[in-house]
Amino acid sequence: MLALRDLQAAFAAQLGGEDRPDLAEAVVGDSITAAARLRVHRHHVAESLATALAATYSTVQAIVGEDFFRIMARELAAADLPRQPVLAEYGEAFPAFVAGYGPAASLPYLADMARLDWALNLAFHAPWHSRLSVSDLADLPPEGLLASRVSLAAGSTLVRSAYPIDRIWHASRPGTATGRVSLDEGGVAVIVLRRADDAAFATLSPAEAAFVEALDDGKTLEEGAQAAFATEPAFDLSTSVARLLALQAFAALQQDC
Amino acid sequence: MNSTRVAIASALAAALVLPAATSQAQGNMEKCYGIAKAGKNDCQTAKSSCAGTSKKDAQADAWVSVPKGACEKIVGGKLTPG
Repeated sequence: MLALRDLQAAFAAQLGGEDRPDLAEAVVGDSITAAARLRVHRHHVAESLATALAATYSTVQAIVGEDFFRIMARELAAADLPRQPVLAEYGEAFPAFVAGYGPAASLPYLADMARLDWALNLAFHAPWHSRLSVSDLADLPPEGLLASRVSLAAGSTLVRSAYPIDRIWHASRPGTATGRVSLDEGGVAVIVLRRADDAAFATLSPAEAAFVEALDDGKTLEEGAQAAFATEPAFDLSTSVARLLALQAFAALQQDC
Repeated sequence: MNSTRVAIASALAAALVLPAATSQAQGNMEKCYGIAKAGKNDCQTAKSSCAGTSKKDAQADAWVSVPKGACEKIVGGKLTPG
């Protein structure tokens, strides 16, 4: 008889792909043997996790096809069983896994598409808190405006890539008539956003991305603007700030009590 | 306040009074419908519980080494064969 801790460790190893005779001895069997029951259970777990990953990483699946995706997903699932009960929170390790997955090496952008899918998943499940609006800033004197620090709203994430992930995302939607996307178009930055009833992303200019990144690092609006101008001297600060406010990218200001 | 700071402060202030029509021009916003809808927190989807339990765990899945999906539309880059 295995101690509880050993039983649990054996069970986890079984789910991860090992056949554990010591575990089979601890399981009741009749017309279906204990070993067969354990394999059925393992199959069920792997299929459920692969299905959850397919829901979260729908762009990756669209790019590689369902057969390829399922094998890749099951391989991750065997090595990385969930640590929490909520399947929507499962799969954070997938982008790194994809980056190192040999059979997908011919698709160098795939891991970044996985990062975008994960950011969209986080945004979709992020809480809906109040957002920074024009009126929050309108009454500040110039010095106060320059010294303001704003945070990205829950679910807002900057995703940078050396590949045109916005256009690849588009091309991978079912039924889109988008023509070919060339990786030679170069990289982009996008901001992923939690919205009232869905998740979305918008493509940022390099200077806008530098601005958002600086603010996300805790810099002031002035420092963010300087980072943007350093990226692109002709940066249109007014239009970009208005755009980001309209996108509701930022959280409402924290009240200093 | 030096001239750069004045310019930044003015541009920030201008952003707050841009007409709504201008700030609505968000451009290139992708609405990501359909994510995270199926397959989550539901053991009874067509592909998992009911359909899956009658099968044994297949250790030797057919090895699918070639991705076959929208990747056909994505070309270029150093690592792409051909």
